[in-house]
This record gives sequence, C-alpha cells and structure tokens, in this order.
Amino acid sequence: MKNFLFLLIVFLLNQQDSFALFSQDREIKIYKNIRCLACQGQSLNDSNSDFANDLKKVIKEKLNNNETDQEIYTYLTARYGDWILFDPPVKKSTLLLWFFPVFILVIGIFILYKRTVFEKSKLS
Amino acid sequence: MNSKIKFAGIFFLFISFFIVFYYALKSDTKNNTQIMVGTRLPNIQLSSLFNPIQKISLPSSEKENFYLINIWSSWCVPCRDEHPFLVKLKNEHQIKIFGINYKDKTSNALDFLTKLGNPFYYVGVDSDGSKSIEIGGYGVPETYVINADGIIIFKHVGPINSTTFEKIVATIK
Amino acid sequence: MTSNIGFISIVISCILSLFILILFFKHVLFGGPLHSKFFALYKASFFLIAASFVLLVISFIISDFSIVAVYENSHTDKPFFYKFAGTWGNHEGSMLLFILIISLYGYLFLLFSKQLNFSLRFTTIFFQTSLQFAFLLFLIFTSNPFEKIFPIPNQGLGLNPILQDPLLVLHPPFLYLGYVGFSLVFSLLLGGLICNYYNQSWAAIAKRWIFLPWTFLTFGIGLGSFWAYYELGWGGYWFWDPVENASLMPWIASTALIHSVLVMDKTKKLYNWTAILTILTFVLSLFGTFLVRSGILNSVHAFANDPERGLYILFIISLITFSALVIYILKSPKQTEGESGFVLFSREFSIVANNYLLIFALTVVTIGTTYPILLSVFTGESISVGPQYYNTILAPFVFIFLIVMAIGPYMKWSKNSFAVSKNKFIAFLISSLIVTILVSFLLKNQNFIFILGVLCSLYLIISVLYEFAYFKNIKLKQFNFARVFSHAGFGFLILAITLHYFFSKEFTAKIPLGESVTYKEFVIKFSNYFSKEDKNYQELTGEYEIQKNGEKIVLKPSIRRYSQPQQFTSETSIRGEWLSDMYIAMDYTSDTSDGIGIRFYHNYSIRLIWLSYILITIGGLLSFVRRKNEQ
Repeated sequence: MKNFLFLLIVFLLNQQDSFALFSQDREIKIYKNIRCLACQGQSLNDSNSDFANDLKKVIKEKLNNNETDQEIYTYLTARYGDWILFDPPVKKSTLLLWFFPVFILVIGIFILYKRTVFEKSKLS
Repeated sequence: MNSKIKFAGIFFLFISFFIVFYYALKSDTKNNTQIMVGTRLPNIQLSSLFNPIQKISLPSSEKENFYLINIWSSWCVPCRDEHPFLVKLKNEHQIKIFGINYKDKTSNALDFLTKLGNPFYYVGVDSDGSKSIEIGGYGVPETYVINADGIIIFKHVGPINSTTFEKIVATIK
Repeated sequence: MTSNIGFISIVISCILSLFILILFFKHVLFGGPLHSKFFALYKASFFLIAASFVLLVISFIISDFSIVAVYENSHTDKPFFYKFAGTWGNHEGSMLLFILIISLYGYLFLLFSKQLNFSLRFTTIFFQTSLQFAFLLFLIFTSNPFEKIFPIPNQGLGLNPILQDPLLVLHPPFLYLGYVGFSLVFSLLLGGLICNYYNQSWAAIAKRWIFLPWTFLTFGIGLGSFWAYYELGWGGYWFWDPVENASLMPWIASTALIHSVLVMDKTKKLYNWTAILTILTFVLSLFGTFLVRSGILNSVHAFANDPERGLYILFIISLITFSALVIYILKSPKQTEGESGFVLFSREFSIVANNYLLIFALTVVTIGTTYPILLSVFTGESISVGPQYYNTILAPFVFIFLIVMAIGPYMKWSKNSFAVSKNKFIAFLISSLIVTILVSFLLKNQNFIFILGVLCSLYLIISVLYEFAYFKNIKLKQFNFARVFSHAGFGFLILAITLHYFFSKEFTAKIPLGESVTYKEFVIKFSNYFSKEDKNYQELTGEYEIQKNGEKIVLKPSIRRYSQPQQFTSETSIRGEWLSDMYIAMDYTSDTSDGIGIRFYHNYSIRLIWLSYILITIGGLLSFVRRKNEQ
C-alpha cells in the first residue's frame, strides 16, 4: 500500500454499480446486536474490520434467503457462543441476571413500606 | 453482638469478592473458542487451489480415523511460523491435512507452498471468508481435528506451537 | 534530568505522607498535642505531587523520549495540545493525575474548612493522606511514569489517533475531578464518625464536597458522550459500554447521596443511609478504576491493560472498602432524633422514594456490567450484556422517577402535603397531556412507550417551569436555582432521549461517484472528493450532497491515514438543523473493490441531549450560590 490515497482514488474512478450493500432498519438492527469478534467491544454495525465485513456479507445473504432473525442468531451462537450477541440470552445461567433486579425491587418496596408513616394529609 | 455478626458478614463478603475477582483476573474471560468441540463440522464445499474445477466436501467422506483442517494464508505471518509443525504432522504421523486458503491470491498461495513445503492432502479456496465463518473460524491461522464421524474433537485458534503440537499428537493416537 | 526530579518529588511526597500518618497515630495513641506542622506537611506533599505532575507534562511537551511513557505515547509530529494531553493518555500518567486530584481535594479542604472543628479537620486529612499514600506506593512500585529507557530513542511511538482530539484535554481531567473527588467526602465521613462529629452540622459541611465532584463528573460524562458521538462515527451517544458504566455507577450513587445528605441536613434523618451512600460512592469510583485498568473488561476504551496491576488495585480497593466499613460498624451513628419513619407524601418521602429508584438503577447497571465476568468465573460461559438489557429494564422506572421528581419539591418537610398541591398536580397533568397528544399527533407516533416518555418528561418540565414562572413571588435569594436547572435538565434529557430513540434514522450504502441514493425523505449524492496532507496524516475527503424536502446541504466526511502509529480513522461530518443532526461517516476497509461505504444518520433531537447535559451541570454549579436561608 504505497500511497493509499492514490489507490482509493483509482478505485473510486472504477466504481461499479453496487448497491448490494445498502443496509437499513432490520438489517442494521441485527448488525448492532452482533459483536465484532476481532474488535474491542464494537458491534458489526460500528466496525470497519475485515472480519466484520465478511460476517456482514454472510448475514446479508441469509437475509436475502428470507431467514428469520432467530435463525441467524442461532447460526452465529452455534459457531461462536452466546458472547457474539449483545442481547443476553434467557437461560438457566442468566436467570440471576434478570431476576436480581426484581429481587432488589421487591426488597426496596418492602423496606420503604415499613418505614412509611401513614398520616392524614392536612390542608394548612 | 450485633456488630460481631455484621463484622463476620462483611469479612466473608470481602473474601468472596476478592477471590472471585482474583480468579477473573487470572483467567481469560474472553470468549470460549471451544464451543464447537463435540459438534459435527458444518458442511462446506471447497474448490481446489490447484484446479478450480475440482471440488471437495467437508466433513470428509473418506474413511479416516482422524484428519486435520487448517485455515491459512500466504500473507499471514504466524501461518509461516506454524507451517513446519504441519509438515511434521504429515510426515511423522501420516495424518491427512485439509488446508483452507483464506482470502488469498492464488499465485501467492502456490508460491508459499512451493517455498515452505506442502503438507496438505487437499487445499481448498475460501475467497471471501464465508467458508471459514461457516465452520466457526475466527481468522488465520486456525486448526481443527476431526474424527471419522465428522465430529470436531479439537479446535485451536492461532498458530500451532510445540505445546499445541503435542496436544494434537495425543488427540490423534 | 526532569524525570529524576519528578520521581524524587513523588518519593518525597510518599515519605511525607507516611510521616503524616505516623504523626496522627502518635497523637491518637499516645496523647500530647498534634504536631504543629501537620497541615503544613500535607500541603507540602500536595505541592510535591503537583510539581511532579508539571514535570511530567513538560517532559511530554518537549518530547523527552528518555522516559518510557513519553516514548510509548508521543511523537514530535504531534500537535502541541496532544503532546500536552498525552500526559494522561496512558496508564502511568493518568494514575499520577488520579493521585494529584486526591491530593488537590485535600488541599482545597484545608483552605476552605478553617472554621471547622480541629479534630474533624485533621482526622479528615489523615484519611485523605492514607488514600494518597496507598496510591503513591502503587504508582512508585508498579506504574512509575518517570521510568527511563536506554538508549534514548530518537522518536516516539505516537498517540492513538482516536485520542488526538481536543476533548482528550478535557474529558479525563473532568472525570477525575469528579469521581476521584468523592474521596474527600469519604474521608470527611470517616473523620466525622471517628470524632463523633457525624450529625446535622456534618451534613451542612459535606454538601459542597459532594456537589463539587458531582458537577465535574456530570460534565465529564457528558463530554465523553459528546466525544463518542462526533469522534467514533457510529452516530450514538451512549452504548452501555462497560467503561461508560464504570463512570455512571458513581454518578448514580452520588446523585442519591446529594439528596440523602439534604434530608440529613434538613430533618436529621437518614444518618446511616447517608454514611452508606458516601462509602458506596467512593467504592464505586475505585471499583470503576479497577474494572477499567485491569484488563477484565472488553471495551472500546481498553487501556493498555495489565492483570498484575489489576491485582494490586483490587487489593488496595478491598483494603480501603473493608477499613471504611469496619469504622462505620464500630462508630455507626445512633439515631438520636425521634422517629425514623417518613411521612407519606412529605418532601423527604419523595426523596427517599427516588433514592430507592436510583439504587435500583445502580443495581441494574452494576449487574449488567459485572455479570459476564462473574458468570465466566463460575461456569466458564461467556455472554454479553448489551444496550437492550439496560433500556428494557430501566425505562419504566425512569418514568416513575420523573413524576416523583416533579411532585417532590412541592411537598413540605415532614408533613403530608399532597392535598395542598393537589390542584397544581392535576393542572400539570392536564397541560402535559395536551402537549403530549399534540406531539404524538404532529410526529405521527402513537407508540405507548413513546407517549409515556414524552408525558412524564413534560410533566417534570412543566412542574419546574411553573416554579420558575412564580419565582417573582419568592425572594430571589431564596429561590433554589440549582434544583430548577438540574431537574429541568433531567426532564429535557429524558425527553430528548425518547425523541431520539423513536425518530432517528440510519442507513449505510456504497454510493459510486456521481450517483445518488434515496432513503425515506433523504436523497444523498456522492458529488466530489479531494485529498490533503497534514502534519501527521493523509486525508481523503468526500463531498456528499443531501437533499431533504427540497433543502440541500453538503457534508464532507473523511478518512485519515495516520503515520505514527499507522492507523486509519474515519472523521465524521455533522450539520445541525434545529435540534437534530445530519451526520455522515465514511467506512474504510482494506478491501475497497466495491467502493467506499458511508453511514448516514439523522439524529433526531440530539442537540437537546447536549443542552440537557449543560443544564444539569449548570444546576450543579448553581448549588454554590448562597441562598438566604443557608449558612
């Protein structure tokens, strides 16, 4: 890559008609939910890495084959584990993740209730 | 008395907190690369690096107790470093190695094999990275050990070093 | 040469700190007067740290590559500002900044507490010095910023291009002035507990030492959000990234603390809760520091991580937290004043209710951030916790929170005062309902969450505006500007977030030169490009014409290729209209055979989000304006 600018300009001038990578809405939503494995904490949507672009192409083809969101996610987790999805799974080991906030909520309401003094309101 | 209980409770909490995060620091909390071990290799079809008309399917239908799959590229420096181990595996252990040439230029790949030796039984081409993704690959290099039923029994992300070499040898016995 | 003085300065400061600790123990254990130079010694230790920091900054500016930190993070071609800010763009330098802030707050405390009880003063300084000492030891033995390299390289490795941005100058210092600043109220608490001086007067003093770091932290987080938006090119302002959460956790705790200490000051209640919150806030600051620097998190903000350092930090934090809790248990305040309950619909009840919601939010953020780590330790499984988790769980509670925020200030202290203001509350409801219906109709969205979000935030805003509209009836000096600005700011923030969530648009495409692409009401044409070369990068800029409903604007995003270190960045081009932005970023990839992609965003009401951050920060600043019924 001697002079990247030169290369880029050359490519720009040799543009082919390629709207193949026009993404919006549902597609972007899926990309945002998938982690780029070659990056630090970025989603496919936010990453410019080669791995991210390759994976996006694979997913785009699946979308063209009318696969559902869930089918795509299952495909990915079978190969890369739950970690690749940003939305945490709902399974036995993540029960606490979902349950603990509820627990805190209930305890908090209970404590609050016990410490409340129920006085009549006065119009002073 | 009440404070003693509080003390004990807090002390216990701290020790657990400290131990948990100590382990977290020590271990690699990154993704588990072994998730596909124990599952069947997904089906992929690859055309040959040497002859584009020739095709092959994996998992292999040939009767082998074990065989290897290695994802590599000529532009990948660690692939260069691990290549002698692949050659050694082929020569000393007579194991079939299916190579997947990943996003590479054919002439460079052929050049690489000529210069460093060709340990591969077959070299397939993955021009856009989709085949590697299909089998759960992260990049280059990556090595799989597959058994006769097409099950992945070993998966290593990154170059093979002497430790990995020994592990592979132990697996294919 | 400078590096030697810098290092010696730190070491002497550390020794002085140790000496201060010894003097304290000598006085406490063996009686006799406290050494007359106790405070002077502390001031000296502060000046030494400050001097050391200045020397490090100078080393960066003059590109003294004999120092490892400068070599690894700087380059002679870098513009001046980034040489200066590069001082804290690395672990060692930022650690020194961390310690400087601890010391600075102690020094400020000495300056502005002259009228305070003497024991409280020197005990507070004792604790602040302990913190300073612990971290100085850590710095000297594991993270020395003045470590040398030989032979001296001619040139440095350069600073990560993403960090070469004006906001690097502001963001970390403000964050540190924030969450590290809570160290002082922490020390003040421990001092108060030990000296049996923890009471209503303590609360009156402590307030400013909570408001000050809180204001800095609010602004620091806002800066980070703003920086992520225009620098990273992903069109977002908050990602629930673990490192972002690490700064948010102390913010939530300190917001709860502010209100708790106000209750303590006004009603002599919540003594224990305030103490716990104080410890919690600082512990969360430290915990965040640990998470970020230990390598345990996977994040965009990844520092040069080092698990061994992480271990040291873990140890220090555990020690500090444990000691604080021991002191709290031993000296926990006995509630001397009457009942400890809260009258329904009194002012303190509404504050406690919202405190509870804040702690709930804190729990959610903490769990979301640490669950992946804990799960992998216990079961070896790896999962991620992304934005959806936080948004789904927190949204309903934010709405309740807004309503309580609106109603609370109209309540009286310690009395059920709902009936008095009932009519106002109904009026607020009607007016916010009307506006919400209007908005929903105009913007054509009837989504339930959207309506709730708009309704509740408008409710809060209207309740604040009402207060503001009638302030002529109250003496100017008595008006609580701080609350009005910060609460209004928060209302606008949630309103903006809701609007942004429902009405922003985004798409990506590869547009060949000269061609256009249509997306909803936008037509985007790639019209031109040009290149230029600057001090340390080459730049390719694309010109894109955007047409929306007949209006045309031109955006010019670019790709930069930096030379030291070799890295590509994508520079965004943003143009605002009213409160929204049109925003384009170019994609770069080593495979350019298909052309260059762009990402286009229409970020609806994003500017209102920035405005909200500023309003809340102003609210914090206004708390320092003396009110008539304050001392």
